[in-house]
Amino acid sequence: MAEPSAIPEPTRRLAPQARWVWRIYWALGSTAALMAGRFVGDEAPGALALLLWALPLASLVIGTPVLPELRWRRWRWEVREGEIDLMRGVLVVRRTLIPMGRVQHVESERGVLEQSLGLASVEVHTAAGSHRIPLLTDYDAGLLRAQIAELARMGDEDERERPREAAKPEGGEAPGGDADDG
Amino acid sequence: MGERLHPAAIAVFAVAALRDAALPALVILGVSVLGGGLDADALLRALGLAVLGTAGAAAIGTIRWATTRYGLAGDAIRLRAGWLSVKEVEIPFTRVQALDVEQGPLQRLFGVQAVHVQTGGGGAGGEIVLGALAPADVVRLQELVAGRRPQALPEQRPPVPERRLSRRMLLVAALTSGQLGVILPLLAGFSQVADDLFGDPQEGGRAVAGALPDSAGEWALAAGGLLAVAWLLAALGTVVAFAGFAVRREDDALRMRRGLLQRREVTLRVARVRAVRVVEGVLRQPFGLATLRVEVVGYAKEPAAAQTLFPLLRAADVRPLLAELLPELADDPGGLEPPPPRARRRYLLPPAAVALGAGAVAAIALELPWLLAAGLAGGAYGELRWRAAGWRLAGGRLAVRSRMLARSTVLAPARDRESHDLAQTALQRRARLAHVEVAFGKRTSARVRHLDLDVARGLWAALSRAEPTSTAHRGGARKGRGAPLSPPYAHEGRR
Repeated sequence: MAEPSAIPEPTRRLAPQARWVWRIYWALGSTAALMAGRFVGDEAPGALALLLWALPLASLVIGTPVLPELRWRRWRWEVREGEIDLMRGVLVVRRTLIPMGRVQHVESERGVLEQSLGLASVEVHTAAGSHRIPLLTDYDAGLLRAQIAELARMGDEDERERPREAAKPEGGEAPGGDADDG
Repeated sequence: MGERLHPAAIAVFAVAALRDAALPALVILGVSVLGGGLDADALLRALGLAVLGTAGAAAIGTIRWATTRYGLAGDAIRLRAGWLSVKEVEIPFTRVQALDVEQGPLQRLFGVQAVHVQTGGGGAGGEIVLGALAPADVVRLQELVAGRRPQALPEQRPPVPERRLSRRMLLVAALTSGQLGVILPLLAGFSQVADDLFGDPQEGGRAVAGALPDSAGEWALAAGGLLAVAWLLAALGTVVAFAGFAVRREDDALRMRRGLLQRREVTLRVARVRAVRVVEGVLRQPFGLATLRVEVVGYAKEPAAAQTLFPLLRAADVRPLLAELLPELADDPGGLEPPPPRARRRYLLPPAAVALGAGAVAAIALELPWLLAAGLAGGAYGELRWRAAGWRLAGGRLAVRSRMLARSTVLAPARDRESHDLAQTALQRRARLAHVEVAFGKRTSARVRHLDLDVARGLWAALSRAEPTSTAHRGGARKGRGAPLSPPYAHEGRR
């Protein structure tokens, strides 16, 4: 979708190998569905049985090459000083803005498949939930994690140096402790 | 180090131990009674077990009391508890959000109070719990914490009288608290039907088709009974939780009292309140009544009652009450901008289609064609959701209304958001519509569906400009939107 005024769309992409991870997962999922469909389909009446194996087959043959590619092309992200900007989705295009000051902690995660391809996912936690930037290169993920943690910390220091104009006594509120990444 | 709790803590710990052991004990008891048949011998054995259990609990209580020490060391509250495995907790005064005082039946018996030291760390209950303290010790603790905490700027407010929930309103609240009561029996009913349908595909289907019409009276009776029980339980729960409810604004905190058996006094720091929800339940909206809930940082795991700002009030009183208790968040819940008229069918059609589908399946299975009318009910539900939908962003305050079952209006400063989304489904693309969703916490998310795309973009962009100068949680005022950071790795090819 076109960009809302004033804020440029994010430009950074996921690692190109991400497509392979998604293709593998999609193919595995479709195959499992196909087998399950065959298994259940024996019991079901004609039209339903047809549907039960045709759908997973279509998903396997057409979905595997198309969807991961689309998904990868749609996924964009950007980390700015004030916020994290995410844009993604095939059927539902979703753009999310997370103010940097709201980041509680950042973690990165690598599954077995991801490890073998040198990929990692970064998860950004806020008080309302978490947001995931999947399948970056290890290198990007590490830097991103460090960068977000650093920016979030900078926010805290700003807070401490500011004169306390807002009548909020809690130095204790500034989460020096829990803003550190995991 | 430190001091012991009041000896009444022995009883408190013992009862806690008994409660923890109650379920396994009941199982053992049940097995032994059932196994041996119900005779004098079994009864004697059960009695023996009960005596043994009580003695054990008393011993555990004594040990826990003897090994628990709390103290005020330097600028922190400390707790050291445990015998075999020792737990030590230390909370600096600056991190103490509140000392919540609670008095259950047991504490009342001994004239002591339980203190929860809250840091808003996110767990349920206090991060340190002192099970029994003499009132004088509680006061001393409160004074110490209040004294050590950096003083709030004396933002002098005229003392405000406490707002109380009248007996009459408590009764009304209890009678109309049946949201759960509406859903539970329905679910039970459906699961029963499903059971009959799929438990034994051939027999069951025929049995249901044949048996349902003539046992309809029984069905209604069973459903009615379930409904009544659920209703009663919900009402009782409301009375127990909210009897004697009172709330008062005091400088930078809200002080609340509530509870019938368990008297609680809770302090809620305003800085941690992210959003207010005006919830008009299905049974309450027709009478112009609403509940006020708050989204509090780190409170997601506390029970719903702990997140209630006021259990029941007239919708017309919402604004004045908020202005008095939470002027930081007060806003008019009315006068919102609806989505464009062309969005209406998008609110109506999906629930109508789902209900029609379900109705069709049921109609075929039960041979009751009138069940197709479920489609109409679905459409009506969609219409209600459409009528509820609305939004406003004015002066940095966001107000968003929506309906699932209850009609709920989120009021919050835009800068207190945790994140915000602009989402467009494939079906919305041609109609140029989009959703906007603003998250304020684990339980509060303000969502407006099917806005005009340009309006949605405008709203989203305006939210993006509302700099999160959070009142407390963190994050100073940002100096405008920086350029995308060109990270050192931007040009560094991908391995």
